[in-house]
This record gives sequence, C-alpha cells and structure tokens, in this order.
Amino acid sequence: MAERPPLLRMRGIAKSFGGVHALRGVDFELRHGEVHALLGENGAGKSTLINVLSGVLTDHDGAIEIEGEEASFHRPADAQAAGVATIHQELDLVPEMPVAENLFLGREPRTRLGLLDRRRMLRDARELLARTGVELDPARRLRSLRVGEQQLVEIAKALSLDARIIVMDEPTSALADAEVEQLFRVIRDLRTQNIGVIYVSHRLEEVAAIADRATVLRDGQLAGTVELAASSRAELIRMMVGQPLDELFPKAAAKPDGELLEVDRLSVLPRRPKPGRSEPREVSLRVRRGEIVGLAGLMGSGRTELLETLYGAGAPGRRSGSVRLDGRELELGSPRAALAAGIGFVPEDRKELGLVLGQSVTTNVTIAALHRFARAGLVNRSRERGAVVQAIADLHIKAPGRLAAVRTLSGGNQQKVVFAKQLLTRPRLLLLDEPTRGVDVGAKAEIYRLLASLAEEGMGILLASSELPELLGVCDRIVVMRAGAVALELDAAEATQAALLEAATASAREAEAPA
Amino acid sequence: MIEQQAQESPAAAGRPSPGALPHGRREWIDFVFRFQSLFGLLAVFIAAIAFSPVRNGELLFLTTENLANVVRSVSEIGIIAVGMTFVILVAGIDLSVGAVVGLAASGVAVLMMERDMGVAPAVAIVLAIGLAFGAVQGLISTRLGIQSFIVTLAGLQVARGLARIWSDGQGVPLAYGDGPDLAPEAFSVLNERLLGGLLPVPALIFLTVGAIAIFVLRRTTFARHVYAIGGNERAARLSGVPVARVKVAVFAIAGMLAALAGIIHAGQLNQGSPNDGAGYELDAIAAVVIGGTSLMGGRGTVAGTLAGALLLGILNNVLALNNVDANVQLLIKGLVIVAAAALLSLRGRDD
Repeated sequence: MAERPPLLRMRGIAKSFGGVHALRGVDFELRHGEVHALLGENGAGKSTLINVLSGVLTDHDGAIEIEGEEASFHRPADAQAAGVATIHQELDLVPEMPVAENLFLGREPRTRLGLLDRRRMLRDARELLARTGVELDPARRLRSLRVGEQQLVEIAKALSLDARIIVMDEPTSALADAEVEQLFRVIRDLRTQNIGVIYVSHRLEEVAAIADRATVLRDGQLAGTVELAASSRAELIRMMVGQPLDELFPKAAAKPDGELLEVDRLSVLPRRPKPGRSEPREVSLRVRRGEIVGLAGLMGSGRTELLETLYGAGAPGRRSGSVRLDGRELELGSPRAALAAGIGFVPEDRKELGLVLGQSVTTNVTIAALHRFARAGLVNRSRERGAVVQAIADLHIKAPGRLAAVRTLSGGNQQKVVFAKQLLTRPRLLLLDEPTRGVDVGAKAEIYRLLASLAEEGMGILLASSELPELLGVCDRIVVMRAGAVALELDAAEATQAALLEAATASAREAEAPA
Repeated sequence: MIEQQAQESPAAAGRPSPGALPHGRREWIDFVFRFQSLFGLLAVFIAAIAFSPVRNGELLFLTTENLANVVRSVSEIGIIAVGMTFVILVAGIDLSVGAVVGLAASGVAVLMMERDMGVAPAVAIVLAIGLAFGAVQGLISTRLGIQSFIVTLAGLQVARGLARIWSDGQGVPLAYGDGPDLAPEAFSVLNERLLGGLLPVPALIFLTVGAIAIFVLRRTTFARHVYAIGGNERAARLSGVPVARVKVAVFAIAGMLAALAGIIHAGQLNQGSPNDGAGYELDAIAAVVIGGTSLMGGRGTVAGTLAGALLLGILNNVLALNNVDANVQLLIKGLVIVAAAALLSLRGRDD
C-alpha cells in the first residue's frame, strides 16, 4: 500500500484582489495529528490562505486535497462538510445562550413531539465538553464565561461536527497565560486524536511551545516551512521580515529623573461590582519622567482597571488614596480631565475603544486634540492637515490616504493611529494597555522604538502587557499585579520571566482562597 | 496590499479630493452612492417634469409659482428634519418633535393673542421653550441612561399635554391688528413672499437653517464630536469628547428647530392648535433616511436631508397636480422610503 497521503495538501494557491497579488503559488501541507503554525506579518497572506481553506474565498488558483482527495469549496458550508473548522478571533457564538444551546445551535435534539429535548442536549453537551477536556457547566450562559473558555466551547463544537482540520486564528490574542496553558492542553489532546491543527499566531514563543512545524508567508509568497525543533526564533523572524531583526528592543537611552506620577494607596469601591473585574486595591506606585514602568499580571489581575482609573474611565464608585501628576492632585473624573491634565491612554481594544472605524484617519488622529486646531469652535483644516501629515510621517502610518476610513488599515497601522491621536494631545504620562496585541513583528519593533524615543523626551510610560519578554525588553521597572493589588515590584534588570510569573500566579491562588 | 500601494505613493496622497469628479466605473458607482439623495432628487425632479400636467402650453410643475410652493410646503418638515439629522447622527432619535410643533404653534398664538406680547418676545419665549424641552430630554436620556427613543416617546405625550393645557385644548385663531386680543401685523410676514413672489418667507427660513446647519456640520469641533459619538461612543469618550454635553446640545437643537417649525406653522395657517404637527416626526425621519443618514449614527449629512425633504415635497406636489388619490400618495411615499433604505444598505454592504 502506498504511503498514506497527508491530511491536507494545498498546492500552488494563488489569489489576487483587483490586480494585487495576495497569494502567489503557496504550497501548504498538514499531517495527521500535527500542529502546524502559520506565520507572517500582517498582510503577508495568512488570512487569505485561511479564507481559501475555509471556503470563504472560492475564486482562486491552485488545488486543495484532503486525505489525498481533490476538494473544491464553493461556500464555507462545503469546507465544513469536508471537515475543516475555522475558529476566528471573533467567535461565532451567541453570548446570550447557554453553552449547550451554542454547541447544538441549528441541530438541537428534539423530543418525539418536536419540542426541544433540553435534558438530552445538556447530557450530550456535558459528554462533548468532557471529550474535549474542558470542565464547564453546559447550562451556563456563554456570556458569563471568560474568552478562553468560550474558545474551548467553539473547539468542542468543531469536534462535534467531525472536524478533522481545525484552523485557529490568533487563538491566544485575548487570553492570559493560565488560559493559554489550558488551550494548549486541549490542543495537545486534539493531536492524539489525529486531528490536524493550523495555528495562526504572532507570538513566536507560543508557536515554539505548541507547534511541530511552521510555514512562514511573506508578501503573499511562501518563505519556507521548517521543523520547529530545528529552528531558532531569530531564524523565524528573519523569514517573516526578510531581514535580520537583531534588535527588536532598542536600548533605552532615557535617564529617568524626577517623580512624574505618584499613586498612593489608591483603592476603588465600585458602585456596582462586576464579576471578572478587579478594581485597584491599595495600589501605590511611581513613574518618573523618562521612565517606562511595566504592569504585569494575569488576565483579570486589575491592570486594565488601574489604567482606566488613572485615566478617569474606571468603574464609578468610591475612591480613596491619592494620585498626583507632577505634584498636582488629580480628580480622575473623566477622560477629558485626564487629557487636559496631560495623561494619554491607548486602550487594549482598539476597535471598540480606540477608534471610530468608519471615519477617516484624519478625524481619528485629531479628535482628542481638536481644540489645538480650532478657534471659536471652527476647525482650521489646513493646520489640522499639517498635523496629520506630520503624524503619518512620524509614526510611519501606512494608509491609502488621510481621508481613508481607518477600517481599511492593517492592525498595526490602526494601532499607530491610536498612538498618533494620543500623542497629539502632548501627554506627559502615557498609559498603554497591551499596545502590541494583534500587531505584527515589524510594527511591534516600531512601537518599541517609539516608546524608547518618547521616554528619551521625558515622557513617563505605564505599560500593561501580557507578554513577559516585551515587559523585560522595554521597561525600566516592572510592577506585578494580582487581584487589583501590587504583588511585586522589580527592576527590569533583575527580573526574570519565572519571577514575574511566580508573583502573578501565586497571587491568583491566594486571591481565590478567601473569596 | 494596502501597505504596498501606500509605499509607492506618499502616504498622505491617495484618494481624490471630495470635490473632484471621479473617473473609472468603480469610482462613479461610489460617487453616485455618496450623493445618493442628490441623484434621487434629480431623478424625481425629472420624473415630475415628465408627469407634469400641461395647461396653456406650460408645464404646471415648472412654473415658478409651483416650485416656490414646493419649497414652502416642505419648509416645516425640512426644518424639523435638520434637527433630527443631528439627533440621528449621534445614534439617537427624537419622537417628540411633532408634539413640540403643536406646543410652539399654540404657545406663540396664546402669547400674542391672550398675553398681548410682541412678535419678538413671543417667538423668543417659544424658541426657548423648545430648546429647554429638548435639553431636558437629553439630560434625562444621558443622566439616567435611558434610550432616547423611550425618553422622547414620553416627551411626545408631555409636550402634547402641555400644549392642550396652555391653550385649553382649543385652536387659537390669529387676528392681526393693533390693540388687545390682536396679534401684531408683523407676524403675518410668514405668509408673504419676497423677491416679487419668488421666495416664500418660510422657504427662506428653511434654506437659511439648512445653510447654517451644513456649515456647522462641516466646520466645527462640535460636528466632529457629533460624528465621533455616533461612530463609536466609547472611543469618543476615551478621546475626551464630552459625550453627555454634546448629546444634550443635539436634543436642544432638535427641540428648538421643532419650535421654529411650529411658529411657522401658526403663521402659515393663521392659527395655533395644540394638535398641530401630529406625525411630523415620522415625516422628518423619512426625510433624514432618504437623505442617506444612517440610523446607526455617525454617518450622514444635512445636504442629504435637505434633498430628502425636497424629494418628498416634489413627490407630493406632482402627485397632487395629477389629482392622485391621497391614499395612493401614501403608498408611493412608502415605496420611496424603502428604496432609499435599500440603496443605503447596499452601500453599507459595499464597505
């Protein structure tokens, strides 16, 4: 008998949009029980390849074979029927419905009378979740689950649809480290069931930890497929960007000097406590001029809540403690007041919180600093244009034009627009929440360089991030948070990933115990 | 892909300026969509000429008399629709404007006929009432976090009730002249025409309001805030936009313009009744929607609204000229609204 054909083989896949080649002759192969990483910068063609595989894009060149048989997909349902399940960043689930109903949406078990068989549905759901290795009550409403858990529900659903190939698009972009571990356990389990996983990610550390091989795309072409056991991180980066990136993290030349932000025993008692949020508890920390201070911690450790509180955008409630900027006590009343006081904020979710996606680069960039380009309430458009042109040049924003909708920009460039908007307000203190999430390696390096030069100009930066290497590479000092409180504070020079992780997770266990 | 293109041309260049004519099929389609309401207006205008009855060898629709009448007939709805545009741009809705027309029409009549007030104070008080009424609705909506649909639905009842209490539930006829129980002659200017009969005064007021609103929405920081709130309210708040203040201002504008429409209504009919303006809110919303403004907020123009209002006016006019049954007119109006919405949704999908 001939050698068993691979689970999936894509050959010579090409696709162009209006004369622009998104993919040119790409080959891709997935073996049974393999986790295969798909890497590449934004715009390299990863999404296009995934969309071809999942039947979203049908008008392409090249052939797809599943288990050696030619497959042709005319719509997403065809791909699904052939055993290809795609788990998108934005999950395709109904938040208001229980887990079980989500799992069997559209194929609900019925009683003989044609009514919904709730009991059987719950039983089947429980079984299915167990088979996926997820401990969850199927009666819970999806909305009450964490993002990581919702993702696992989607994986369980894919398994119940007899998926043989599971495509995961940036599955960890919204997960904290502990949740990532859980996801990896499930993925390893899939592997033993002979299921092939295509894992799209920006995070090279994760890829090295979970994947067997990696295929790298660059500018729509195949840059190569490698065995991960035999290749280094530097090699992968070189394949992705096409040039050696010897210095992802620039050495900061800034000399921190003088207290800028002084937070003393800041606590917030929210009027309406929300589950999953950890409001600041007795937080004290300092940021000096020209200093980059990192905020580490698990998801739900209160990093975002602290930044929001400092920006006047936290949960309404009673506050105690004091926050001073350049020695002046702050009210923390509203983002408007924070901006006026010299505080800028780049929120974590740029699409929901950072941008007006349907509007132009220009209006997005200037909205927070409009008063600088206006007199008597009238916008001086030529001065505004000058500032926007400058910002586009300074931050290397790649856009079809100043008047193009921000929606049309890549993730990295959208993020730069958010930065440009905040920088135009000339903040003295910049609060950053996961500023490089979902951003490709090239744009990441640019953001790091930007932070270093801002610090050099004397700006203070408070940077919350889930990526420990990023914190270690960029920050002068790192504060680890747990359950809303400061768990540990370290000089970045003395810090290690292990120490940070230890402090962040030890806290999580302690915090859960008394509650 | 976008990045590659952008690298070749300077990032700041790109799309032609809004004023330039498009070239290429794709861009023409965009162009037509962008000015959908103006093209719709043009189409209806041409259709109106085609279907116009002829008398003495003259197209009745195209007589200056008739055209002036069209603009005059839409001036009240048009003014309300301008205010409604602001509200809808922040993703709100104002159902109270029709009732505010009744409050203003009866109010201005009562003030002049029964309180012996001059035109200026009566008009100023009524405009202030409209402004305050809108502002209070905005405050309730923002402070208590109640959707504007609900707040203004309640406001509709309240305004109607206030109007009836104020006027004892009666229409107040206006009689002009000097002395007690007569309205000042000056108020009847609303029934006059300027420029040798070419320009009815209500039409002049309508066009002026429209021009001011177009300027405001194109040039002011207030407008940027309005569009930002409608586009993404949370992002706007985090960008330092005073969201609550802008929303209150928007409802205040809508209330004041509704009151202005009510004053004009009283002037044109020589009477103010608490029942005036019933259903006007829906006609105004129709004009805004036909004008291409998205009910989701953040997208739309006053120029579109003006075109939408005129389109409805021409439609009514040419149907009336042809003695089409009023009920059939309603049917046709409904079809036009659906057609406009379908075009909008097509454009949305295009993005």
